[in-house]
Amino acid sequence: MNKKIIAALLAGAMVIGTLAGCGNTDAGNTDVGNNAADSQSTQQDASNATTDTNTTDAGTADAAGTNDAAGDSIVSAPTELTFIFADGDEGAKASMNEIVNRFNEQYPDITVTIEPGNGGAYSELIKTKDSVGEFPDVLEMRDTAMYVRAGKLEPLPDDIVGLFKTTTDFDGKVYTAPLAGENTNGIIYNKTYFDENGLTEPATYDEFIELCQTIKDKGDMAPLVVGGQDIWHMGFWFHKAYNDQVLSQDPDFIEHCYDGSKDFSDETFKKTFEELQTIMQYAQDGWSSTPDAQITTFMVNDMAAMMYSGTHMFSQIAEAAPDMEIGWFPIPSPDGKLRLVGGGGVGGLAISAEAAQDPDKKAAAEAFIKFFYAPENYKVYCEKLNAIPATVDEPEMDVAPVLQEVIDATSAADELAPMWNGRSGNNELPPDFRNFTYKTLVEVLQGTRDIDSACDELNKTWQVGMETFNPLTGLGAE
Amino acid sequence: MKKAKKFDSVAFTFIAPAFILFTLFVIVPTIASVYYSFTSWDGISSDIKFIGFANYREIFTSARFGNALKNTAILTVFISVFENAIALGLALIVDNVRWGKNFFRSAFYIPVLISGIVSGFIWKIMYNYNFGTLNAMLQGVGLGDFKQDWLGNAALTLPMIGVVLIWKGAGYYMIIYLASLQGVPVELIEAAEIDGASAWQRFKAITVPLISGAFTINFTLSLIKGLKVFDEINVMTDGGPGFTSETLVYLLYKVGFNEGRQGFGTAVGIMLLFIIVILNAIQQKFLKSREVQL
Repeated sequence: MNKKIIAALLAGAMVIGTLAGCGNTDAGNTDVGNNAADSQSTQQDASNATTDTNTTDAGTADAAGTNDAAGDSIVSAPTELTFIFADGDEGAKASMNEIVNRFNEQYPDITVTIEPGNGGAYSELIKTKDSVGEFPDVLEMRDTAMYVRAGKLEPLPDDIVGLFKTTTDFDGKVYTAPLAGENTNGIIYNKTYFDENGLTEPATYDEFIELCQTIKDKGDMAPLVVGGQDIWHMGFWFHKAYNDQVLSQDPDFIEHCYDGSKDFSDETFKKTFEELQTIMQYAQDGWSSTPDAQITTFMVNDMAAMMYSGTHMFSQIAEAAPDMEIGWFPIPSPDGKLRLVGGGGVGGLAISAEAAQDPDKKAAAEAFIKFFYAPENYKVYCEKLNAIPATVDEPEMDVAPVLQEVIDATSAADELAPMWNGRSGNNELPPDFRNFTYKTLVEVLQGTRDIDSACDELNKTWQVGMETFNPLTGLGAE
Repeated sequence: MKKAKKFDSVAFTFIAPAFILFTLFVIVPTIASVYYSFTSWDGISSDIKFIGFANYREIFTSARFGNALKNTAILTVFISVFENAIALGLALIVDNVRWGKNFFRSAFYIPVLISGIVSGFIWKIMYNYNFGTLNAMLQGVGLGDFKQDWLGNAALTLPMIGVVLIWKGAGYYMIIYLASLQGVPVELIEAAEIDGASAWQRFKAITVPLISGAFTINFTLSLIKGLKVFDEINVMTDGGPGFTSETLVYLLYKVGFNEGRQGFGTAVGIMLLFIIVILNAIQQKFLKSREVQL
């Protein structure tokens, strides 16, 4: 019996001793821990690093609370910020962690803690966080309109808004700092094939059609590969033609559809379908059952000469065929102007309205956003994601020549705007009207529906959509 | 005289968990959905507006609902007819085969074990125009001119989805037919044979009436399956190209969950329920009258 009691006491003493040992180690080696954390670069390590910094800050609160790197603190007491972003992309994870680490180092009295962003199901995560009262202080916001209407976001101050080439406002207030310029679509082509056949980049829309016809006549590969099974891929093409035909004539076409002065039987809208009918005759056989994920296969296997997509395809092509030489050019509008998808979209970094009620948190969140977009930090994000900078003061980036071409084109474009379905305010679409339009477009392109009938269907669906959503009257938008 | 039985609390205690869960998760939502079908609810917000029969009016005037109803009817008839014909053929083969009966029974049943999502992915790859097995085989045997965009051609999409459903489901119906065939008395067949009846006459006059119970079950099952097919369409076509393969269940899903129109989606669901009940009643009446009891 005595042996059992002694054994239990010894075991207890060991546990207490171990725990005490842990505490002593932390307390005695704060600096070492800090240095180690600073040197980490992977996502997991970086997450640990922020936690470590947090512990360290608590211990040095008095010293850090009064001084930051510049000498004066922007907060009256040590402040913690939670930060969530869509971490499905490895580049996003790595770059965000690096920037957060840099910020935590420079502002010892503020601790930004990254919380997991749940990869692909990001919107659902944010909704869940909101519903359980854990809405983050700073976050990457995607469904901006919804959260602005719900009063969840704080307007950004002018000195942050002024950092960007373009921003999206809601009743004159900007709530998001765009993470990057919208994904600019253009033609990515097989440069070797072009060079071997004496083909050159077209300077006008007509030259582009001639180029497609030349490749089609040669017959060795399809001029264009289209991933029509994924209707969002069709959205790239639809927006191009819609931009050329509708937005060029009336930038507020959707608003005018809401107020009833226009509808989808408008001649400009019909011309959108006609332009796409012209282009799609150069798509590969079986385009409507080809998924977007397969279009790279067509390019790298010499089955198609060109694809129309965003800059995210550069890395995919490079991974599939590291030696393949690719080129890029934008397709000008039929009227000769260059209209591109680009500039800041409706999404971006945002500050929680609840967090902003605390002056320290508000100041810290604004400081973090400004720090994020400082050229030396923002460069990390843009380079990792092949992203086009959205800031006026662009970082000096080490990017592939083909991406530089896209950046140059966005600077030279006559018009730079987000996709038709990415607009806000009175030009916001009813839920899923976008997908209905793309599906109707596919029917027109396949010849199973004529343009007039397609326009009638869109008008009917629009009327139904307006019964539940109309930003002009505030229905469903308040 | 036996006294009326009192409330049996012990028995109720045993059924209570199932009763409560079934009521909560099936009965209550079913009744609630009737109410939601009269609203413009988006499925998320707390603002649920009563709009009377507007959703049902839209159903009867909407071309999209008509198109989904037509697609559902085509798919249901296609799989009801061919799935049963093939399943009966397989059952007859397996029933009459001299050796390897268990092997063939298992082989034909294996596709039933694969989930709809997985079989959808497998066939989607096989149907692919440029890289799929089907077109590669046609090309390989010199029939390249017959290559088709199996899932991209509006005229072929529904039958091709039907083929997948039949491939996956025929083995199940075969087992039911087989069980019924094995219940046909051998002496009746032998007596007919002695009387000089041909194989076709024996099948038509003896086998078919005696397995008509299996016909009733199988046609009912394939009717319900055709009306509620979802997995394969979701994986293979997403209702496309355009709206070519959008069925009633898929329309319900799209409008209810993707387009934020839960009220309208629920109304489509209620309509589907009525269609299933009516068609099933007609089919039962027709097939039951042909059943023969020994």
